[in-house]
This record gives sequence, structure tokens and C-alpha cells, in this order.
Amino acid sequence: MLKDHYIFSNGRLKRKDNTIYFLDENENKRSLPVHQIENLYVFGEVDFNSALLNLLSQHEVHLHIFNYYGFYAGTFCPRNRKVSGFTVVQQSAHYLDKGKRLYIAKMFLESAVHHMLRNIRRHKEKTEVYIHQIEEEAKKLDAASTVQELMGIEGRIRQHYYQSFNDILRQDFTFEKRTKQPPRDPLNALISFGNSLCYTTVLGEIYKTPLDPTVSFLHEPSTRRFSLSLDLAEIFKPLIVDPVIIASINNRIITNKHFDDIDGMVFLNEEGKKKFIIEWENKLATSIQHRKLKRKVSYRHFIRLECYKLIKHFIGDELYKPLKAWW
Amino acid sequence: MFVIITYDVAEKRVNKVCKKLKEYLTWTQNSVFEGEISKSLLMKCMYELEMIIDKEEDSIYLYEIGNPKNIKKRVFGQEKNFDELFL
Repeated sequence: MLKDHYIFSNGRLKRKDNTIYFLDENENKRSLPVHQIENLYVFGEVDFNSALLNLLSQHEVHLHIFNYYGFYAGTFCPRNRKVSGFTVVQQSAHYLDKGKRLYIAKMFLESAVHHMLRNIRRHKEKTEVYIHQIEEEAKKLDAASTVQELMGIEGRIRQHYYQSFNDILRQDFTFEKRTKQPPRDPLNALISFGNSLCYTTVLGEIYKTPLDPTVSFLHEPSTRRFSLSLDLAEIFKPLIVDPVIIASINNRIITNKHFDDIDGMVFLNEEGKKKFIIEWENKLATSIQHRKLKRKVSYRHFIRLECYKLIKHFIGDELYKPLKAWW
Repeated sequence: MFVIITYDVAEKRVNKVCKKLKEYLTWTQNSVFEGEISKSLLMKCMYELEMIIDKEEDSIYLYEIGNPKNIKKRVFGQEKNFDELFL
């Protein structure tokens, strides 16, 4: 029910009449109903002041900021009200214990691999080789004894996986190697943009639970980043981002004209971003009948359910079994 | 559910009602608001409105549409305000 808004124009966000007001460059006014908004994504150049931030904090609205190139810059997170010391202590305990940490890390990857295979199996005739290669690599997951080893296997699997895109995509998008910061070709630009949307969405969901977003298991927790959202995104990147990428390329929603090339750095232009976001929002809102809950659950809610499962695991309620798409 | 709210209130309170509704719905025309809203949020909104209006004088109409797929909206002339994902 709650909505997200994406701001591409330049202008000023302010608090007026106890709600959010957006004034763009041409003095067009728009008031956004504050009770209905969950996330604001700012891609343009926007001014705002602390009065607005106070209002956002009252209504627990997150304000995500992206730079000119569409890279995630940061989030204004309202004071977290859902804190539980007990859960965080248990979460950290699972990080400190090597065996317990490895278990959770493996579960994340198991689910990621499941979803990757699920994606490319749809194009079985063309991708047989890759399916085989990935399955071979995946067998080693069980035997891995350190997290570094897991990361290595994950890297190789992802290599094969992205390689298979060459045979799946119907347009002349090719994948040679994954380049980030900056992406060097359109496909890499799409993957980067999609992944950064995924990270913020996952982070938003983590904030609705008592989990600490900085204590992670697969990625090394460090300062300056919310690594738990990277961990959880492992599951959801192949489940949500990649199908959106494949669909928007194969259905020619996104074509070569939606990219800007600045000295070898390739980025989605504004129209491309908008097109991609519409697809992304539609996908997140798609719902599936949940087997256990016996009701319809949207992709976005699946992310939160995953957080709840982790909490249950940490406090010793129920063993964590990752989401594996059954539909 | 999708709702349309229209109001006719004495001048003294018209601004208060408008501001309150702006927090919940999209302002489409003078004295008309519409949008998707959850049941609980709508109840909260209506309660807050009842506190503002004078029941002897003012009136607020609330149209509820259970299935949003059943509405067909056509605009003639200027579209004054629109509900959009992008700004």
C-alpha cells in the first residue's frame, strides 16, 4: 500500500502543511501525502532542510540519495525505533562463532545459486553448458570450510552465470566481464543500477526489523557500509534484479539508446532509469501465494520475511532455511 | 481501496480540511481528493476530519471503490494534479 516516489527533476523538497511538498525548477508545486510514502529516491539535485527531515523521521520515511551517475550515495534513516538489544547480541554471537557464521553464509549462497539456475534454466537449450558448470561449482559449496573459500566459489559461479547472459539476451548486449566503478558497457551499467536499487530496498526492509544491518555473515562486516543488506541481496539479486534486466532487454523496453557513454563509462540515462524503475516497481509489487502463510505475499514482503527468519534463527527459535523460489 | 473525497465546508475551516487531506491523499481538484488508501489509515483520516468540521454546517462525501480495477477515469480539459511515480 505504501508507495515510493522517485525524484528526477531538480528543485526543493520541503515541509508544508504537515506534508511533503516538492517545488521543481519551473515552480511546479506538488504535495505528496506523507502517510502514504515509504521511500523517497532522489536522483536529481534537490535542496531540503531539517524541518523536512523531522517530518520524514516522524513518519518513518526513508530518503535515499543517488549521485549524477545513478550510484547510491546514502540514506537518511529516521531514528530506528525497532531496536532489540537481545536480537543484536544473538546476531553478533552468530557472527563470532565460525561454524554458525559459515552455516548462514552457505545458506545465502545456496539460495542465490538456486535462483541463478532457475533463471537460466528457462533458456535451457542455449545454456546447458553453463548450467552444468554452475552445478559443478555449487557442489564445492558444502565442503568449503572458510568464508573466503565460499566467496571464491561464488565469484566463479557468478562468472559463468553472467557469461550465459550472452546466449539469453535477444539484443546485441554482450557480457565480457563484470566491471563496476565505473561500468564499461550497457549490461554492466544495468546490473550496477539494478543492484543498487536492490541494496536500498533490502536495507529499507531490514530497518523495519530489529536486525543490525552492519553485522553480516557472508560479506566481511566492516565500517562504513551496511553489509547485511549485501548478504541478503545475494538471495534477491538473481530472484528480482536479473529477471527484470533480462525481461527489459528481451522485450526491448531498454535499448542501446537508453545509455550514455562518457569517456568509456557507461550509464543509464534518465529515460532508461525511469523505464527500468517502472519494471522494477512492478516486479516488487507482484505477489505469490505463500505456501506456509496461506496468503498472497509480494516480492518486497518476501525480503522482510527473510529478515524475520534470520531473527528466529538467531534467537534459537527455528533453523534458518533460505528462500528458494518454488513457483 | 480507492477513495474519492469531496467536501463542502464553511470558509473558516476549508483550509484546515484541505491541509489534513493533503497528508493522506492526492489533491486532484478544488475540494476533491482521491487515491489508494488502507482501511485503517482512512479511518484515522476521517476521525481527524470529524474533529475539524462542524457537523451542523459542513459536509464531507466519501466514495469508496473496493476494486480499483473497476474505475475508469477520463479527464476533459486540463489535468490539474496527477499521481505519478516520478517527479
